[in-house]
Amino acid sequence: MQTRKLTRRDFLKLSGTFAATSALAACAPGEETPTAAPFESTGQSPVIQPEAQTQLPPVPMAILALSRLTFGIRPGDVDAFNALGSSDDERLLNFINQQLNPDTLDDSDFENRYNNAGFETLYKSHEQIYADHIASNPYDSNDDAYWEWYSKPAYELADATVLRAVHSKKQLVELLADFWHNHFNVYFWQDDGVPLLASYNRDVLRTHMLGNFRQMLEAVAKHPSMLYYLNQNNSSDAGPNENFARELFELHTLGAENYLGVRDPNSVEKDANGIAIGYVDNDVYEAARCFTGWRIDDDLGDWEDGIEKTGNFLYYKPWHDRFNKLVLGRYIPADQEDLKDGYDVLDLLASHPGTARHIARKLCRRFISDVPPESLVQAAADTFLQYKDAPDQLKRVMETILLSAEFKASWGGKVKRPFEAAMSMMRALNSDFTRIPGGVHWMLGLMGQALFERRPPDGYPDMREAWANSMSLLFEWNFAVGLTENWLDDDDTGYKIRSDVMAQTPAEIRSASSLADYWIQRILNRSLPEASRNAVVAVMAQEYGWDETLTEEHVQYVLPAMIEVILMSPDFQWR
Amino acid sequence: MKPALTRRQFLQGCSAAIAAMSGAKLTNLAFAKQDNPSDTLVVVFLRGGWDALNVVPPMDGDDRGFYEKARPDIKIQNLLRLNDQFGLHPAMSPLYDLYQQGKAGVIHAVGLNYDTRSHFDAQEYIELGTPGAKNTASGWITRHLQATGISSILPVVSTSGQPTSVLNFVPTVSLSTPDEFSLWDNGLRDSHTNALRTMYAGESLVHRAGLRTLDALDIVRPLTGGEYQPSNGAYYNDDDFGRQLKTVAQMIKLDAGLRVAAVDFGGWDTHEYQNDHDGGYMADLLNSLASGLANFYLDLDSGYTNKLSVVVISEFGRRLVQNESYGTDHGHGSVMLTLGGSVNGGQVFGQFPGLQNDQLYDRADLAITTDYRSVLSELLAKRMGNADIESVFPGFSQGYNPLGIYQ
Repeated sequence: MQTRKLTRRDFLKLSGTFAATSALAACAPGEETPTAAPFESTGQSPVIQPEAQTQLPPVPMAILALSRLTFGIRPGDVDAFNALGSSDDERLLNFINQQLNPDTLDDSDFENRYNNAGFETLYKSHEQIYADHIASNPYDSNDDAYWEWYSKPAYELADATVLRAVHSKKQLVELLADFWHNHFNVYFWQDDGVPLLASYNRDVLRTHMLGNFRQMLEAVAKHPSMLYYLNQNNSSDAGPNENFARELFELHTLGAENYLGVRDPNSVEKDANGIAIGYVDNDVYEAARCFTGWRIDDDLGDWEDGIEKTGNFLYYKPWHDRFNKLVLGRYIPADQEDLKDGYDVLDLLASHPGTARHIARKLCRRFISDVPPESLVQAAADTFLQYKDAPDQLKRVMETILLSAEFKASWGGKVKRPFEAAMSMMRALNSDFTRIPGGVHWMLGLMGQALFERRPPDGYPDMREAWANSMSLLFEWNFAVGLTENWLDDDDTGYKIRSDVMAQTPAEIRSASSLADYWIQRILNRSLPEASRNAVVAVMAQEYGWDETLTEEHVQYVLPAMIEVILMSPDFQWR
Repeated sequence: MKPALTRRQFLQGCSAAIAAMSGAKLTNLAFAKQDNPSDTLVVVFLRGGWDALNVVPPMDGDDRGFYEKARPDIKIQNLLRLNDQFGLHPAMSPLYDLYQQGKAGVIHAVGLNYDTRSHFDAQEYIELGTPGAKNTASGWITRHLQATGISSILPVVSTSGQPTSVLNFVPTVSLSTPDEFSLWDNGLRDSHTNALRTMYAGESLVHRAGLRTLDALDIVRPLTGGEYQPSNGAYYNDDDFGRQLKTVAQMIKLDAGLRVAAVDFGGWDTHEYQNDHDGGYMADLLNSLASGLANFYLDLDSGYTNKLSVVVISEFGRRLVQNESYGTDHGHGSVMLTLGGSVNGGQVFGQFPGLQNDQLYDRADLAITTDYRSVLSELLAKRMGNADIESVFPGFSQGYNPLGIYQ
């Protein structure tokens, strides 16, 4: 969004005398000016150290549930939530039941937009994507047409993801798709498999995210996006590549919290089933041997005998290390049947109590608090293990987390990350689009959270400290300005986002204070602290009185600016 | 007699006035002393693994023979003499003057002493400062600033995103140019920022981040919109590296307490045809690097170089033997450069292990005799006021062996 055109309301800047302008004018060189006290360290470290849940005034259940379990409250959402029952518990239960059974929801508004968005590639099967965008699209780094066609499915996925986040009613599954993509992170621009991101997201993550973890883990391990991203595609008995195996332990399952370092595996304590309580480097190396030969059927150059170019997962026996291995204390004999070595590793990891706690803690961090209570982590881990073979294991884990007492007491536990902030602004203003201008992705990048563009395998951080930097905040603010002023256009494609705030403002509300109170309630669904509320009124009033009737011209010019300030407020940041 | 107001006091006063006007507390206005207590550190990271053996090749002796034999098609000649043993790639000539003046130094056979040839791993380990451990929650620069405390409003700028070396350092301002770091103006910007100062007056992390952002905007705003005039006739190339250095120079000259700047320069992964066409793209890269650094130094040689330290680092060097495509593959030992008013320059530091087969790492690459952390530790101890090596590079202080690079 390179366009930053100034608007006709520039004249206001010239006509009004604003506090800041006069303050600046007052400090011309040569005059005495107040000096700020030198900074003294107050023990507030600038470095990441989790801030405990912030103490905030309590909010109604509708605001907590909708803020936490959707990408932001839309007009009408609170009324709809409150109609779901006669008590908070009943409403919350019904809301969560709807959201965890998304097929019961009428999502026709989103579906109309999706069907009119002109997506060309998202309906294609994995094999079709590979055939069309890779096998029949020979590499030519200098050819724009090559790049456009190569990256199209991934770009369409990114556009569709924004469309869903803003317009779909199936909000909880959208949050979960985002969670699981970051948990099993794959980088948008990883070599060789960019267009396959679309099938990874759909066939692997969305298919399993309310299902069974063991099945999801296997689908991840076999999908070419992951095989390329973590170099598993080149791992053979002659040269095992440990990248995938290491992240499988460190990020996907047990987590670094269960890493015991470089140690003799025989020295590691075992549980009642004889399984090691944590992992050591040797487990990573042995697991890497178990996965040798897990690769992609991708012989684009016709160099290898017996390999085709379907783009599908392939177990390539000549590359498999056939000898015995030892993983987490479990002996894996030589010459097992095809794939069994790898399956054994996945079985061990998916049923490990350490994995249950790691996954439970991450989900609680996403849905409860940056520093979630251990009581709930353990309860969710218990559900994870109890239903480890159930087809709806992950749905049950979500129920444990969301129907907990801890959830109800968790307001102040989470702050919006940039992607959530941007999506929630569009939801708050009822912004209209089917395809977003490309500049939205550019702005998300400046905020530090471009979709699917986390390069390291750990996914975007889920702690507020990681996002409390100037560039992220500034471009969230700029997004508020660009969105409300209707500057978000793409002249090349014609894609645009429109937010008609005048049409959403009742004609009888025309004083600065009443406009401020109306829009504060409309966007935040609660009141602001007095000083902040007055600051919003002052923006709306400019040089006029707070309670006098404003001219239509003034309202048209200043209303967007006032709404921007509400979207830029710290109060809008809580979720 | 009333002393003349400096630009910095002017800015400070304006920020204070705005804050006072809107009733905000001044806790986030953070100008410390007049002078930076230590150097401003500029870290230039060459992404891709530069071919150190063609940047500083052996000039003479047995090693020259091994070098020429291993690189018949891509060896560098007409070197700029550094000492009896080594020369500098001729495309680096803009930096050669500073070397001769003792303002630039070379460290050879230096690098990440860890067994990886992966760009991603090597960059990550170097920037985290914890070779072999990827789950470190902070970068080495983060820990340095944590150990010394920060006292300014704009302690760190990054001109290309948020590099791992400043991982989880909240006050980092990333901006490619000052113009990019501005609040979009709908005609009511001052009205906006006034309201924001009121709303963000609070103690939570969110509030503090908001006030920091507003303060940083105030500081950077004078740099926006106008054309920057470098000092001493310095000229910045209109390339990515030149633009980044120009931004850093502007930030340093703001006197707003800049402590560290992180600059990225990519494109060094020279697997193919690195010397084709009159020196090839490797020479272009080197010329851009040397010319950028020389002009940056010239620009800041207007009262800033005595408190300036620049280090140039890459994730690894490249294989001794050229490959089939007249390029070089990922290697191990590398070269670091250092530049600044307090560098014991004009020397090649470090012990060169030799290029005979048995002397190579894995019988393929230049071996490492100096851990990169040793260079950075000496810099921290002598120029950055931080002798607590262990706090920045945990587990390394035993291995710290200063080479005498810095005064």
